[in-house]
Amino acid sequence: MKKINGNNLTFWLFLAPVLLAFLMIIVIPFFVGAFYSLTDWNATARTGAELKFVGLKNFTDSFADPAFLYSFIITTIFTIINVIAINVVSIALALVVTSKLKLRNLHRVGFFIPYLIGGLILGYLWQFIFNNAVPAIGKAIPFMGFLADPENLLLSKVGTSVIALVIVASWQYAGYIMMIYVAAIEAVPTSLYEAAKIDGVNAWQRFRYITVPMIAQAFTITMFLTLVNSFKQFDVNYALTAGGPATIFMDKPIYGTELLAMNIYRTAFVSNNLAAGQARAVIFFIVLVIITLVQVRINKKKEIEL
Amino acid sequence: MKRILIVLLVLILSAGIFFSCSKENNKAPITMMQNKPEIDAALQAYGKIWTGKSGTEITIKSVGGSTGADLGQQLRADYAAGEMPDIFIIAGVEDYKEWESIILDLSDEAWVEKTSVAFTKDGKVFGFPVAVEGWGMAYNADILAKAGVNPAGLTTIGAYKTACAKIDSMKAELGLDSVISMAASADMGWVTAHHNFNSLLSNGLPYGDLSVVNDLLAGKVDKKRLSEYADWVELLFNYADKTVLTTGNYDSQVGAFATGKAAFLHQGNWTDPNMASANATFDMAFAPHGSMSTPTEGIFVAAPSFYVINKESKNIKAAKQFLNDMVFTDEGNNYMVNEAGMIPAYSNVTLNPAGKLSKSVQEWAAAGKVYSWSQYYFTNDFRDQSLAPIYNQFANGSIGKVEFIRYMTEAFEGLK
Amino acid sequence: MNRKPLLHLFEALMVIFLVIFLYPFVIVFINSAKDSFSVTQYPMRLPENWGQILLNMKSILTSENIRYASSFLSSIIITAVSLLAVTILPAQAGWVLVRAKTKTSQFIFFMFVAAMVVPFQIVMFPLISWFRTIYEVTGIKLLRTYPGIILAYLGFGLSLSVFMYHGFIKGIPFELEEAATIDGCSKPAVFYRIIFPLLTPTHATICILHGIWIWNDFLLPLLILGKGNKIQTLPLAVANFAGAYVKQWDLILTAILMAMIPVIILFLLAQKKIIKGMVAGSIKG
Repeated sequence: MKKINGNNLTFWLFLAPVLLAFLMIIVIPFFVGAFYSLTDWNATARTGAELKFVGLKNFTDSFADPAFLYSFIITTIFTIINVIAINVVSIALALVVTSKLKLRNLHRVGFFIPYLIGGLILGYLWQFIFNNAVPAIGKAIPFMGFLADPENLLLSKVGTSVIALVIVASWQYAGYIMMIYVAAIEAVPTSLYEAAKIDGVNAWQRFRYITVPMIAQAFTITMFLTLVNSFKQFDVNYALTAGGPATIFMDKPIYGTELLAMNIYRTAFVSNNLAAGQARAVIFFIVLVIITLVQVRINKKKEIEL
Repeated sequence: MKRILIVLLVLILSAGIFFSCSKENNKAPITMMQNKPEIDAALQAYGKIWTGKSGTEITIKSVGGSTGADLGQQLRADYAAGEMPDIFIIAGVEDYKEWESIILDLSDEAWVEKTSVAFTKDGKVFGFPVAVEGWGMAYNADILAKAGVNPAGLTTIGAYKTACAKIDSMKAELGLDSVISMAASADMGWVTAHHNFNSLLSNGLPYGDLSVVNDLLAGKVDKKRLSEYADWVELLFNYADKTVLTTGNYDSQVGAFATGKAAFLHQGNWTDPNMASANATFDMAFAPHGSMSTPTEGIFVAAPSFYVINKESKNIKAAKQFLNDMVFTDEGNNYMVNEAGMIPAYSNVTLNPAGKLSKSVQEWAAAGKVYSWSQYYFTNDFRDQSLAPIYNQFANGSIGKVEFIRYMTEAFEGLK
Repeated sequence: MNRKPLLHLFEALMVIFLVIFLYPFVIVFINSAKDSFSVTQYPMRLPENWGQILLNMKSILTSENIRYASSFLSSIIITAVSLLAVTILPAQAGWVLVRAKTKTSQFIFFMFVAAMVVPFQIVMFPLISWFRTIYEVTGIKLLRTYPGIILAYLGFGLSLSVFMYHGFIKGIPFELEEAATIDGCSKPAVFYRIIFPLLTPTHATICILHGIWIWNDFLLPLLILGKGNKIQTLPLAVANFAGAYVKQWDLILTAILMAMIPVIILFLLAQKKIIKGMVAGSIKG
């Protein structure tokens, strides 16, 4: 019996299509992009626009831009809240849909449905809800009048706009993460619970000492997915808040809910500075790699401890 | 079975790969990219008619969004893909610079004679004006009459202050939510940092006077002018509905005026179709931006966007023909004015658009009481990323007038 | 003994919660039956005339810029072929990567996983200019074509696919393959006859995850296919209603509804299988 090894024909034959696509779509453009970040590339037809090498100028400029630094901070805040919100909600939902409820299958389907719709569409839809539908409810129902008060509109303040982003992002993503937790919970042998019940262990203890450790492996994945997903958030940000409302940072008025991906997009297209956008994307990539490496490390350690 | 699937996959993947060749061709189809989704249907229909007559296929692509972001992104992608449209759109000198090397000189075209608002640079004509547009303070004539305010007198900030205070005190009996419908959310930066900003740049100056623009671009700020302008912005924000002002989008801003919930609207004649779809039957017209203590009797009128022809087009002749036919054929005129509802920028076109606000723009223009649009001398980046957040902060009440002036001054000084 | 009523109460609360949870879809539905103006002025009201929904649908179906039928077909072709590509090819790659326990294989696997954190923004424009270079050098046209966009989806989707297949295949006992090899099966035959069918839950998961992404994706088709060209996907078509100044909400919402319905119907029809597959597939991932 011959095993497959690293240099036989099947190995390379089976890998070839994927490697080719990987090279064509990710690797080469990645390095081309990294190269462009060191130039004054702009992808338009300016006169006398030969590609000039500018060294690290795009990088130093980026770090001197309050808007870029601020977007790091606000993205971090958003990510922390969002990761917690999504995971708490999806664990709760997962517990509901694996419970003894009669309609648990209906819930399972229902909670998943928002995930079927694209982020841009959801963003526009929720902007419409927060700005039009909620005040309309406030006006119609007397004791809910506070909803119609412009002071209370979620999207009118930076803090509450971030909450609004979290609401929409969690609403969209929780159903999917729920599925992963469901898988983990259902993989727990029922005999374990029964044995625990007989031993008189209460519900909270069963959750803490049986369910939690068993879903620890799922936790590594869900943390990875929610972390990367939150950090890369663009669609909902773009459609829901468009970066607004404004705030003041380092004594400069800038957009208050402009997450990193959107800052990169704006730099590239609104500010007509593609090369600078490219440089920011490189910085973004490096940060993302560090964060995910740390996260996976920590989770792996925790997994064993539990 | 599975292997057959793979073979199939490979076949499908390779089937679409075809080879194209390029040659100069009189019958080569042309492509046009424009940025007004609202006139798309009319333009598509006209394109069909034109193809029927000229025998040249024209494909019209409409990309929504301001010329800075969405359209610019699409043009870059097309340019990178080597599929730049034959005719595309620019909005002033900053856009022109991006595409300078491929924009064709159109100085010798027949339509140049018939317009005074073509895009020119260094004495050469490059851009075909799409339409004349204008904005000021659109007012609901019925409400103003009931409140006893004469729109003809609204030429100074003092007059506006008195009028607004009067209307504000009568809000309940007039059925108003607010006096002015104004928007300043992140989505609506173009209302504040593009349109309203222009009051600072050109109000009260002779048409085409760039003295203020040049000073600001050089980092020189006229304190008195800026502070008067800040009074004007404050007035607009104070009498606006807070909900619409801080979170509203275009629809809610225009909707408030169209339903008679606001006496004034800070928008232009492009809102005519919205008024029609909202069944707004009241009389309306434009009053000037009375942003200063000295009277400014006129509104802002210009051709804000221009069609340009791509030098590398395979059928330049047809592209030129298409633009000319819009001006010199009945079908073309009918499309521009009746179907798309635009104010023609050409003296030989005798048709008039039906919209009340468009009519008002034409009247102001005919009387020669117009001020220029100068905001395009500032980059998109500057207006959207530097100025718009300042207006937004002011509208939210997180900064006051003093800070507004300070941040505006700092932004201009950063331009040096 | 008083746990029963409590359970009933909980059951009822959850139903209310679900209704609220899904209420945004109701808003899409009722507003699809209004004209643009009533949408923004009276968002929560029931439409005066449900017939408007047909009028809105008609103006979408007949719009020159939307070309609904052809956009729909393009979306289906792109989604279907891309899904075949991001399941079959990464599955076989994942299999050899698991079975070959060498440094090379570990390295390649690590590269794929690392690519999951590459932001789309960093590669999107270089990708376009790289595609153009390919065209200029070889004459192979990848921009504005099906092969181009499908290749791109394979490239962007393969990381997650390989990652998930890799995880699942690790759990399949090697003895299964040994037996087949002894029976005289070739290596590829072992994979396609024995392993591939075992991967059904993972196939389902991947088809769902990637299917949702590809069907709804906006930026990648915008760059590779462009707006208004022969091949255009549904999200590109819908975006035509959203101008900078004027957003035609009535048509946007109707178009959203029309793009949503097929997906939701498909999901509801196959939900048992899909959810089973997702649950079975995601734990190993």
